[in-house]
Amino acid sequence: MTVNVSTAAVRADGLSRRYGATAALDGVDLALERGITGLLGPNGAGKTTLLSILATVNEPDAGRVSVFGFDPRDAAERVEIRRRLGYLPQELGYHRHFTVAGFLDYVAILKEITDRRRRAEEVARVLAAVSLEPRARTRIRALSGGMRQRLGIAQALLGTPDLLILDEPTAGLDPEQRLRFRELLSELPADPVIVLSTHQADDIAAICPKVIVLLGGRVRFAGTPAELAATAAGQVWTAAERDPGAHLSWRGGDGRWRHIGDSPPAGAELVASTVEDGYLLLSDAAGAR
Amino acid sequence: MTSSFPGPAGPLAGADGHPADELLAGYAAGRADGVGIWSLEAHLTGCARCRTTVSGHADSARLARNQSVLLVRIAVPEGGRMRHLLCRCGVPDHLLRLLAATPSLRKSWLLSVAGVLAVVAGEAAAVRYGWVSVGWPAGGLPGHPGAAVLAPFLLVAPLLVLAGVAVAFLPMFDPASRLAVAAPFSGFSLLLIRAVSALATALAPVVAAAFLVPGPGWLPVALLLPTLALCAFALAAATLMEPRAAAVTAGALWALPGLLLAAAHVPLLIVQGNAQLACAAVLCASALVVLIRRDRFDVGWTR
Repeated sequence: MTVNVSTAAVRADGLSRRYGATAALDGVDLALERGITGLLGPNGAGKTTLLSILATVNEPDAGRVSVFGFDPRDAAERVEIRRRLGYLPQELGYHRHFTVAGFLDYVAILKEITDRRRRAEEVARVLAAVSLEPRARTRIRALSGGMRQRLGIAQALLGTPDLLILDEPTAGLDPEQRLRFRELLSELPADPVIVLSTHQADDIAAICPKVIVLLGGRVRFAGTPAELAATAAGQVWTAAERDPGAHLSWRGGDGRWRHIGDSPPAGAELVASTVEDGYLLLSDAAGAR
Repeated sequence: MTSSFPGPAGPLAGADGHPADELLAGYAAGRADGVGIWSLEAHLTGCARCRTTVSGHADSARLARNQSVLLVRIAVPEGGRMRHLLCRCGVPDHLLRLLAATPSLRKSWLLSVAGVLAVVAGEAAAVRYGWVSVGWPAGGLPGHPGAAVLAPFLLVAPLLVLAGVAVAFLPMFDPASRLAVAAPFSGFSLLLIRAVSALATALAPVVAAAFLVPGPGWLPVALLLPTLALCAFALAAATLMEPRAAAVTAGALWALPGLLLAAAHVPLLIVQGNAQLACAAVLCASALVVLIRRDRFDVGWTR
């Protein structure tokens, strides 16, 4: 994938952030254009830290960020970024005594939608988008985990943001809801910059034209899902037995073992590599370093 | 059917006495003007044929949208009498809605404040009037015999207000604080709205209790400046240190001299004379610090 860094909508240069002795981000450079970019990485890879910095919630120890040409270090420009932002944090807290509609109304005010009529229209729009209309009067404490996640997605959509940062949006959603979520992103009226982090390689393959793999606080891959899958081409094979020479092995639903390694044994049945294979191979290589 | 349509003459009136189709279509699309609406609705009440025509012109998507908006308006709580009163006084509705996320404005918190005040004020009255006996001398200041009984009230009352303000601005009490940080609404404005509301709400029962305790008549007024200074100091300190530490420091700065003066049986000194001057100085200095360093309340990327 080639991104023209100078014209990218969102750009980060040399971002570093430490928490005590742990480096959450270690010199991250990235450039994001309009469309959906998936951020893939294991727990502790720095995904949440990176997204919170892009969302202007955290600041880096070093490095620069530019969002639509605005620099978050400047107070006025930071507000301009926030006016264009929809953000779903990984652990979104809720005022549990609020109703669903009341919570969205509250967030809409924080997003400077002060006109009552317009606020109600926006709340109705995002409630319909996540299929929570029948729950508008329900108190948040009475919602299931999946419904709360949908409520989190709904609040991020308020105001039709230009930059949508979604930290693990599909966590807690059942397969049908995940499908609805994919539809929702593809139906967004404008063409915003969307960054979503996930553990689900199939989410990436299904909806993200671009993918970034973050491992140990560093960008290990940036490209298309097909390019990520191609990094494991010729290194994935299946067999009836476990192959001790493989880096990674697991038994599939059909009872056969799927292996990922440097060189398949002679006569091995090579199979087409997937996004998950590419990601696992990268993770394994990063872990070995 | 004989038409009851009294509507406008001219091109929009149908030849058969019923409203013209264009007029009915305009009504269904929400384009009719005030007089036209009255006339049409008067006619529609008694004319099934025109009601059917209007239904045919209705934009179902628009109706569904309007219904959704209506349902949302119903689902968003209207608030109590106080909100209505403040709205009528000109306070913007959206600012009042932001207060719904302030724990120290909820009934449970206010009841707790009232409960604590009732205990300390009741205890002061009980000791002062000899309903219960304690092991310390009556003490007090010249002209205010028995003022020592006010020590618990003087110690606790301003701290209750401080606690209310602290709960209003500490991020730990706002589960959705990350959303507030990432939103364009000014963090400083949000803090001020919440803190001032919490301050005003908690001051009211404190002042009322000050009227009831067996102390000097000026006590309710004398409590105002120290309480304001304490809260302003906490906010100013929060621009220099971690907000929770700032609130604790402010509380300690009141509690320590309060306890020392109580031990000396002269608790009223904390709200008299030089103490008032000191509180005025702290209030002014704190307000200045808050004003100068207000950007610190806009957390995230603040370097």
